[in-house]
This record gives sequence, C-alpha cells and structure tokens, in this order.
Amino acid sequence: MDATTRFFEEIDRRGYEPRLAKTAGTMRVDLQEGPHTTHWFLRIEHGQIAVTRENQEADTVIGTSPGLFEDIAAGREHGIAAILRGDMTVSGDARLLVQVERIFPGDPDARGPRRKFEREVR
Amino acid sequence: MASNGTIRILDGNTFVVSEDTGDIEATPSEPTGLFSLDTRFLSKWVLTVNGERLNALSFDDLQYYEARFFLVPGMATHYIDAKLSIIRERAVGGSFREQIIILNHDEKPVDLEIRIDAGSDFADLFQVKDEILNKKGEIYSEVEADCLRLGYRRGNFVRETAIVSSAPARYDREGFAYSIHLEPNEQWETRIDVHTTAVGPGGRDLRLGVSTHSAERLALQHDLEKWINDAPKLNSQHEALASTYRRSLVDLAALRFSPLSLGGATLPAAGLPWFMTMFGRDSILTCLQTLPFTPALSKTTLRILASLQGARFDDFRDEDPGRILHEMRYGETAAFEEQPHSPYYGSVDATPLFVVLLDEYERWTGDAALVKELEQESRAALRWIDEYADLVGTGYIWYERRNTDTGLENQCWKDSWDSISYSDGKLPPFPRATCEVQGYAYDAKVRGARLAREFWNDPAYADQLEQEARQLKERFNRDFWVEDGEYFALALDPDGRQCDVLSSNIGHLLWSGIVSHERAEKIAQHLVGPRLFSGWGVRTLAEGEIRYNPIGYHNGTIWPFDNSFIAWGLRRYDFAEEAAIIASGILDAATYFSGRLPEAFGGYQRELTKFPVEYPTACSPQAWSTGTPLLLLRTMLGLEPHEGHLSVDPRLPVGMGRIEVLDIPGRWGRVDAFARGRLEVHNLID
Repeated sequence: MDATTRFFEEIDRRGYEPRLAKTAGTMRVDLQEGPHTTHWFLRIEHGQIAVTRENQEADTVIGTSPGLFEDIAAGREHGIAAILRGDMTVSGDARLLVQVERIFPGDPDARGPRRKFEREVR
Repeated sequence: MASNGTIRILDGNTFVVSEDTGDIEATPSEPTGLFSLDTRFLSKWVLTVNGERLNALSFDDLQYYEARFFLVPGMATHYIDAKLSIIRERAVGGSFREQIIILNHDEKPVDLEIRIDAGSDFADLFQVKDEILNKKGEIYSEVEADCLRLGYRRGNFVRETAIVSSAPARYDREGFAYSIHLEPNEQWETRIDVHTTAVGPGGRDLRLGVSTHSAERLALQHDLEKWINDAPKLNSQHEALASTYRRSLVDLAALRFSPLSLGGATLPAAGLPWFMTMFGRDSILTCLQTLPFTPALSKTTLRILASLQGARFDDFRDEDPGRILHEMRYGETAAFEEQPHSPYYGSVDATPLFVVLLDEYERWTGDAALVKELEQESRAALRWIDEYADLVGTGYIWYERRNTDTGLENQCWKDSWDSISYSDGKLPPFPRATCEVQGYAYDAKVRGARLAREFWNDPAYADQLEQEARQLKERFNRDFWVEDGEYFALALDPDGRQCDVLSSNIGHLLWSGIVSHERAEKIAQHLVGPRLFSGWGVRTLAEGEIRYNPIGYHNGTIWPFDNSFIAWGLRRYDFAEEAAIIASGILDAATYFSGRLPEAFGGYQRELTKFPVEYPTACSPQAWSTGTPLLLLRTMLGLEPHEGHLSVDPRLPVGMGRIEVLDIPGRWGRVDAFARGRLEVHNLID
C-alpha cells in the first residue's frame, strides 16, 4: 500500500486525533496527474475525523501531485515548504491546513534530541 | 522612519526602503527595495525628468505606512532655482501605491519627458546583503498594453510585480515613460499601482483568503487612531516620558504582523524592516512587556504559536514535539529548504516562556477560556522541558543544534557565536545550559501549576509541577552559584563546569523567581554595582571580564529589553529603588533617541560619553526595545494584578514628577493609576 493511502486510512481508522481537537471543517485533497485527479475528503469535527474519497465542496482545498503527496505522507517532504514553493496549493481556509499539516509524519530518518532519547526517536 | 538616510514605510510584512528622494537602487550595502513575503519585488525604482535625477528638498514620513517627498530637478551642489516641483506620495497597504505630481512654476510652457526605471532581482531577504550571482531560477520582464510585469520563476515558485499607471504611459522592459506638456502654473499627475503576487500553479496567490488588517489609506489611518485610543492614556509632567510612551504605541502599531495562517489577526513582529515576521522569543517577550497596555496582542501571539507548535522530530528544523517556534519565513530560501525557517524551532526559551505568557495574560485579563483552549499545548510545552530539552540528563534545559549547517549555535537570546564563555574567555562545548532559561523553566512550572489547579481541574499535575519546580530551584542554586564571586554562572557546560562570568542574565533570574531569598540581595547589588551598571543600564557582560567590550554585541553592550526584565525582577524581590535606578537610566537614554530605544547601545560609563552610543544595527524600531518603556512604567508604578483587581504600588524617582496612567484595561474593566516621584535615586548610585 502506498504511504498516502496508509496515511488517510490510518487517520480514518483512529477516528480521533487529539491535535485537531479544536478544529472543525472540511478539507479536500486533490491529487492531479495529467487528466486524472484522485480525491481525499476529510471531515473534522473537534478531533473526530472521517475520511472518504468523495469529490465534494470543502472549506479548504489542497492541490498537488500524487508523487509529492506520497513524499509528504511518508515524512520525506515538508508540507509548509511545499506550499511556499508553489508545489502544493491551498485555497479556502489556510488555518485548517496549518492544523492538519501538524499531523503529517516527521522524517523517518530524524535523529531527534540525542543522548537519553536515542531509542524513543526510532 | 528615517535611519541612515533611508526612508521606510510598511504595512505588515510589505515594506519599502528607499533613498530620501524616494528612489530605489539596491546594492548589498544599501539594501533598499519594495519587499513582501520576505522577497524583494522592486530593486530599482528611479524617477527622472528630462533624463535628470531629482534632488530632495524635504521628505515627510507622515505615518508608518505613508511618506511624501518634495523634489526638484538637478543636484544639490548648485543653487536651486527650480521652475518645477515634483511631489511623490506613497503608501503601502496590501500593495504599493505612488502618486506623482509635477507643477510648472515657470511663466513659459514646458515639455517634459518623465521616466521611471523599474526592475527587480527578486532577492530573498536572507540574500539582500550579498552579491546575488547565482539565482537558480529565471528573471523575466513582460510588456503588456497597460502594464509592466516583472517576474521570477523557479519551478512552481513564481513571484511577480505588476506595475500599472493611471495616466497613459509607454511601457518597455526596463520601465515606463510619459511625454507631457505643461502650461504656466499647470500641474500633471499620475497614480502608479504596484501589485506583488506569489502565484501557485493554479494561478492562485499564496495570500488569497488572508484579509490584511488594513488595505486603504483611510482604513490604515482609522486603524492607527483606534489603536492609540484603545491604549491607556499617559499624563506626565515629565514630557520626555509622555512622548516616549506615544512613540512606543505608534511603533508597536507598525510592528503588528498578520501571519498567513491566522486570518488577519495580528501579533508583534520582531523588528522593522528586516524582521517583520513571527519570532517565538521576541513576540512573547514583547507581549509580556506590553500586556498592561495592549493585551490583545498576547492572545493572538499565544494562538498562532500554539497552532505551529512542534509536532514531530525534524533535524533540519530542530523541531521536537511541544517545542515553540523560533522564526518563520516565506521567501525562496525557506521554500527550497536552503534555510530552515518553515518554521525553524531552534530556540530553547520560547517554549517555557509560552506558558509564562499564558499565565500572565490570564492574571491580567481573566480570559479563562483561552487558558482552557490552550491546555493541550501548554502541557506539551511543559513536557518538552523535561523530555526533550534535558540533553544531559541533569534536570536542566540544554541546547545543541541538530542542523549543524544552517541552524543556530546559541539558542538563547544572546545568540551570537561568542556570547557564552568561561571567565578565561574560552568558549564551552555543547550542549550548553544557560542560566536564564532554567529560570524560565522554573517559572513555567510554577505558573503551569496554577493553571492546572485553577483551570484544568488537575490538582495532581499541579502538585507534580510544584514539586519539580522546588527541586529545580534547589538544584539550580547549588550548581550555578559561583562561590567566590557570589553570583550565578552564565551557563554550565556538559560536564557541569560553570561559565563563571558575571552577566546581565542574573537579572532575568530574579524575574523568574528561581533565586533563593538569601541570595537575592547580592544579585541586586551586582546589578546596580559598577561592573554591570554603566549609569544608563546593565551591561550584557560585566566590565573586567576578558571578553568584555563596550560595543561587543552580547559581551558588553546594554540592551534596553534586557534591562526592562531586570527591573521587573528587582521589584519582584522588593528592590524597588534598584529597579527605579535602572528604569530611570534607560528612560533617560530613550530621550537621546527621540523616544525610540535602539536594540542596544554601548556599555561605556555614563560620565565618560555623556550620551548613549548607539550600536549600529539595521533594525529600528525593534519590538522588544519598543516594549521596554511600557514594562518600565509597569515596574515603576508597581502595577500588579491581585485577586481580581489591579494593585498599584508606585516607586518613582523624584525627577519623574507626577504620572497618571488612565484606563488600564484588565479583568477589573478600566482602572487609573497615579504616582509621584519620591525616590532620590542618585544618592543610591553614589
């Protein structure tokens, strides 16, 4: 399974994300490749999250390529840097994106603070 | 807002730095330009009449967002008997607008060629002081029927400047021109709009959906008037104090910055113009200084910093879960990860100070809802102190950057490379634990305990935090105390060895309350003693230390913001006279800068130079220097929220005369404070 699908299915399976407890809104991720666009639709209600593949109107719409999103979902690329670069676009409520960006995974090779915490970082 | 012969106007993080004629001709040593989103959108903007440059008779920076230039043809070297006047009026507010008015005073008609040369190098703010040789993308210039479009493209990263004139102009790739005929006493004018855009692949602007707090001139003017009206009124016999207060309020208004992700709410940016962005440390400390006067800034600062709190491990950005950001940038180097500011987290004080500000904010405003809203983030910040910042495992906050390429070596407020040293002048290895940060951690735990008990309904957590705070205080007073000098060491090295120099950092320890009672008097004596106190303020490093230099950035200069927290600390331990000595020294210094305190000034003895020698920096006003007079006022008046009301316990030097501060906002509604100078501070220094 690709990292994108794993990322969204994992969120949907957990159903609750404490870091989004103060957030409410809908967000659609459009992954465009040539004429083909796949959609992920997130409904967030104070931490409760439901994920579907629907293509419907949302408060925030994110657009990027499936390849870049795959790297973001795997922690290899950084969401905010991608937006600043123009490789990912946002329309609608940017605040929602800033909140959701926080739940993207970190770099799998990150060392984290050294000494005591070497093991936890892995 | 003139400094070093340049004129600056701004709105949010869009600003213009120009020569006194209004012209822009950027060079590495004169980094003028139109800037927005940390990118330069105009590096050339030169007005000529009949091929001749213009000469400034005068300029007028009316408000922080607008300026007016009165110009005549020819250079200043010969007698000016101009038959033409040229007026340039400009403002920023979302975009940049310039009105050009030309008047013919001659008795004969004239024919004129008016031209503006326009160009942009689209430099990242981090690059403006370098020769830019290797831009990775492509710079272009497109002429349209009614517009000149300058642009820069690197992959999907596109920044464009669109220039449109209201009077018909001839556009070419390097600018635009007009041929005009003016009868005697006739005038001609045009309005030029310069729009900056950050375009994504879908053609959408990065900033769409962000309502700036102000766009048009009238709205900006109204906004500034409201800002001043909402703040408490200061009446004082001490005229300089009243004008310093007003200067601070206006500068604070100019320093408000509206992040892209906050929907138009504002927080204080660090400094104008190069630091018009979010800085964790600077924004929080400025909020702490200004809370009694402009509490709304604190609420937005806490919210935005919470929303960008670290969530994972990122070695490039020095990010950990719970860590509060250091600096956010929007330019090309951040976008392409050549710099880590997207955002960068390499600061160790912003995280404990976040909790300190939340508690102080509630004590003033009674806004319990915000304390509840930010419970999770406060707990994460407190957890970061013990779980991720204790790199040595000895119960202190340490720092050592993981981004060894572009990260910050010193992650405390004294962030220059040589700011932390032993008394033999050598620099310690990493990790380092500076003393003031341990004080902030102590204060964060004590205040966190109050929040847990009163608002989060978690007395067990409160007890735990209080116990941790007690242990930290005990440990700190043992490990950092320099026995023979009788003060606290600046820092510890990873082996626990003391960086045993005498520094201003000990004053922050009083502010945080970590100093054991019996040692406080000794610390107070050092702070107003001859090695640290110059007569104007407390030096960052004491005279007599090997690295002491009266103009050493963090090794001897005097930082007004540093002094404001030191004065607050002295009052906390009931050294009101010592606090007043420092407050009056810094406020006296402010009068030499027309009420606008610089970032730092020289540590020379007051009797030696008679005036404070400004440290040359590019940034003025600086947020925490702007906040300094407000915190000093609070300190001298002894303003303290106490069981739901405001207590006032003034201890003013005689020279201050009578001061009244009217309509201080807070949980009590609006309250007035009155004070009269009674302390003979000069006797205390002699």
